[in-house]
Amino acid sequence: MQLTQITRLTLPRWNAARTSPRLIMAAGLVALFVAVPLVYIFIRAVAAEPEAWQRLLQTRLWKLLGNTLILALAVTSGALATGVSMAWLTERTDLPGRGIFRWMLALPLAIPAYIGGIVHLSLLRPRGGFIPQALEAIFGQPVILPSPIGFWGAAFILTLFTYPYVYLLSSAAFRRLHASLEEAARTLGRTAWQTLWQVTLPALRPGLMAGALLVALDILAEYGTVALLRYETFSSAIFIQLSGRYDRSAASILSGVLVSLAIFILWAELRLQGRARFTQVESNWRPAPPVSLGKWRLPALSLVLFVISASLLVPMAVLVIWSANSLLDPQALRAVFRTGTIGFGSFIWNSVWTSSLAAAAAVAFSLPVALLSVRHPGRISRFISRLCQVGYAIPGVVIALSLVLLVNRLLPFLYATPFVVVIAYVLRHMPQAVRSSESAFGQLSPSLEEAARNLGRTSVQTFFQVTLPLITPGLLAGGALVFLTSLKELPATLLLRPAGFDTLAVRVWIWAVDGFYMQAAPAALFLVLAAALPLSFLLRREQIFR
Amino acid sequence: MTIGTSAALEVQHLTKRFLSAQHAAIKDISFEMENGEMLALVGPSGCGKTTTLRLIAGLERPDAGLISLDGQVLASETKFVPPERRGIGMVFQDHALFPHLTVFENVAFGLRGRKPAELRAAVSEMLHLVGMESLANRYPHELSGGERQRVALVRALAPRPALLLLDEPFSSLDADLRREVREQVRGILKSIRATVIFVTHDQEEALYMGDRLAVYQRGRLEQIGTPEEIFHSSATRFVAEFMGNSDFLQGRVVPEGVRTAVGLLSQAIGINGSNPVEVALRADDVDFEVDETGNAVISERFFRGAFNVYRLLLDSGQVLHAFKEHTVILPVGSRVRAYISAGHPLVVFHEGRAVSGG
Repeated sequence: MQLTQITRLTLPRWNAARTSPRLIMAAGLVALFVAVPLVYIFIRAVAAEPEAWQRLLQTRLWKLLGNTLILALAVTSGALATGVSMAWLTERTDLPGRGIFRWMLALPLAIPAYIGGIVHLSLLRPRGGFIPQALEAIFGQPVILPSPIGFWGAAFILTLFTYPYVYLLSSAAFRRLHASLEEAARTLGRTAWQTLWQVTLPALRPGLMAGALLVALDILAEYGTVALLRYETFSSAIFIQLSGRYDRSAASILSGVLVSLAIFILWAELRLQGRARFTQVESNWRPAPPVSLGKWRLPALSLVLFVISASLLVPMAVLVIWSANSLLDPQALRAVFRTGTIGFGSFIWNSVWTSSLAAAAAVAFSLPVALLSVRHPGRISRFISRLCQVGYAIPGVVIALSLVLLVNRLLPFLYATPFVVVIAYVLRHMPQAVRSSESAFGQLSPSLEEAARNLGRTSVQTFFQVTLPLITPGLLAGGALVFLTSLKELPATLLLRPAGFDTLAVRVWIWAVDGFYMQAAPAALFLVLAAALPLSFLLRREQIFR
Repeated sequence: MTIGTSAALEVQHLTKRFLSAQHAAIKDISFEMENGEMLALVGPSGCGKTTTLRLIAGLERPDAGLISLDGQVLASETKFVPPERRGIGMVFQDHALFPHLTVFENVAFGLRGRKPAELRAAVSEMLHLVGMESLANRYPHELSGGERQRVALVRALAPRPALLLLDEPFSSLDADLRREVREQVRGILKSIRATVIFVTHDQEEALYMGDRLAVYQRGRLEQIGTPEEIFHSSATRFVAEFMGNSDFLQGRVVPEGVRTAVGLLSQAIGINGSNPVEVALRADDVDFEVDETGNAVISERFFRGAFNVYRLLLDSGQVLHAFKEHTVILPVGSRVRAYISAGHPLVVFHEGRAVSGG
C-alpha cells in the first residue's frame, strides 16, 4: 500500500555534479542486496534441467498460468469496481454516515485475506458451514448456497480484502479533483453521467491504475487464501513444490515465470500510464459539490453496508465470538496459551520483533536510495530507485525460495535463524519504505538545508537539526507500512522460519488448517488489532481521515 | 466566422444565497447585453461576480430571478436548463483542461456528432486561431501557462457558443504574459464578434477589455456602464474608489456649490441645505503653486517617469494628490496653495451616492 505516491513534489534540485560517491556506494549496495535474490531466481530458472522444463510445460504450467491470470483479472476488476464505487459514494455524494464509512472501508486492510477467508469459509461451507446449517434448521431441508471453495470463492474473498487499496487511492484522487474539470465538461455539453465516465474517471486513471497494480501484484503473491479455498495458482504450486515435494528446480522454474509475469504487469502499468498525468494542482483548488443521491440513497447505503459487513463487521464479529468461546472454555484456553513448550506471548513477541526489525532496516536502507533519487536525479539514481521497488513484484514464496538457496550456499551461519525471515520481510516490503522516504525528501525544500548551512551549521549538524526532524513523520509512515505488511506476511514466514519459531500469522494458519478455528481466533484477533494500529496511524496522515 | 448572431442576454433580479462560505451570495442583479458585446464584471474578491457567471452558465441554481438568452428562458422560478443544454461556453480560472486528453482532444471534446474529417478541420481551425496547431498532440501538463490559457479559450469557443464566459482568465499568468495574452484574446474575440462576459478583480483589465463594465460590491451591482461613464461619472463612492485612485475631499453644500478646504467648487448640486458631501478628486484634477501663506505642505514626492505625483497634506488634515510635470521638482516640506484645476464637473457624493457631476 502506498498512499503518497502521486503527491510527490517536484522541487529545485541540487547540483548533480556534487553527488557524493559514498552516497552512490551506499544506495548501490542496497540495490545489490535487493537485486541478488531476484537475479538468482532467474538464473536458477534458466539453468534448470531441460527435462524439468519439459515436464512442467507439458503438464501444469499452462493451467497454472491460466488460473493465476484469471484470478488476478477477476479480483482486480472486482476491486476496481468496489473500490471506485465506494470512493465515489463516500467522497462525492451526500450519503449519510460517510465520515465513519471512510474509516470502515479502509480498515479491512488490517485483516489478512486468509483470516477473512477462514471466517467466510466457516460460515458458508456447503457441509457444516454455519449459514447452510442455520438455513437447513429454518427451512427443514438443505438450501444450496454458492460455495466459497474454488475460483468464485477465492475471487470474492480476495476482492473483499484487496479493494481498500483501490478505495484509498481513488478516494484520495476524487478529493484532489478540481470541481472546474467537471463543470467544464458540463458547459461543453455533457450530462452529469457522461461527465463521470468521460472526464472524472479517466482523469483519475493514474490513481485507479496504481490501486489496480497493487491488487494485481498482491494476487500473484497470495498464498493463504488460495490454498485454503483449494484454487491452485503459481504461488500455491511453488509453495507445495518447496514444502512438500521439495523439488527446487520445478519451484525455480515456476518462480521465474511468476516473477516475469509480475514484472510484465509492472511494465504494462508504466506503459498504460503514458504521458497523461495529473496537471499540477492549481492554487485556487475547490472541491466539487456533493451529488445528491435522491431516491438512490437507500440502495447506495445498502451496498456500502454490504461491503463493510462482508469485509469488516462479519469477520470481526466472528473472531470476537470465537475468541470469547475459546477463552471461556478452560481446556481450549490452555491450548491457546500453551502449545507444547511455547506460549501465546512468544507468538506475539516473535511477530513484533521480526516485523519491527524489518521496518527499521527497510527504512534505514531506503534513506540513501531516496536521498540519491530525490536530490541527485539522473539515470543511475532512477535505475537504483526502480530496482529497489521490484520487491513489489516478487511474491513471498519466491523470496523464500531464493533465500533458502542463497543462504544455504553463501551465509550458512544464518540458515535456520529467524533473521532469514527478517531479510525476507525487508526484501519484500522495501518498495513501501523507498516510496515513503522519497516522498518525505521530495516535500522538503533543499533551501531549508541551505538556510541551515548559511546560518553556520555543518552538513552533519544540518541533517540532525533540520532534515531529520522534518522527514521523521514520512519515515515513520514508511516504517508503519512495512511493519503492517510484514505482520501479515504468511508464505515467506512459513517457509523460512526455524522449526518451532511461530509468529501470530503462522500460528493462526496452522491451527486453522487443522480445523481448530476457535483456538486460532484469539491469535487472529490479536493480529488484526496489531495491524490496525499502524494502519490507523497511516490513515490519520491522509487528509480524508482527519 | 461569427458567434452569436442574434443572442441577447437578459438577467433580471438574480439572487443566490449560500449556506457555506465557498461562494459569495448575490442579491437582485439585473442587466442586459447586446450581441457582440464584451461585458466586464469587476469588483473586489468575494463580491459575487463569479457567482453571477456560474448562475448564467447553469453551474448553480438561482434562488430567485430570471436568466434568458436569445429569448429562451434558461433559469427562472419554474425552469432550469442544465449547463450542457445552454450552449454557453466557459473558460475557467484554472483553465480546467482535461489532463487525460491531448490539446486536440480537449478542443474536440465539445464538438460531437461530426465526421472525423470535419472534426479535424474544425479543431485545426480553432487551433490556428490561437497559433497552437503545432502543439495539438501535447498533453496539458506539457504546456506553458499562456498555452493552456489559449487552449482553454478555443475549447470553449469551438462549439460556437451563443455566449462566452471567462472567469478571471488571466489571473494564473504572470504580469508580462498577462498583458500579451490579454491583447491577443481581445483581438480574437473581437474578430469573431463573440458575446462575452468576463470576470476580473483588476480594474485596469476591466477598462481594457470591457465594452461595458459592471461594478460589484458585496453581492450587489453598484453601477453598469461604459468605461468612461464608470471612470468619470461614478454612481457611488465605492465605484470611484475602486476604479480610480480618487481622493475624497470633504465639503459642505452652499447655495453656490460646495465649500471645501481648497476653496469653492461652483457646480450645481442635487441636494440643498448645508449637507456634508465628498468631492472625488483625482491627481489630474488638483494643482498647486508654491505659496508661503498656502493651505498645504508637500509631504512626499513620487517620481512616475513622465510626471511627478505630489502628496499634499492640507491644513485641515486631509490628503490630496496632484500631478506636476517631471521637470517640476519641489522639496518635501514646501508650503503650497492647492486648488481644484479640473476643467470638467466633479463627482460629488452624499452618503456614498453621487449627487452631482460627471
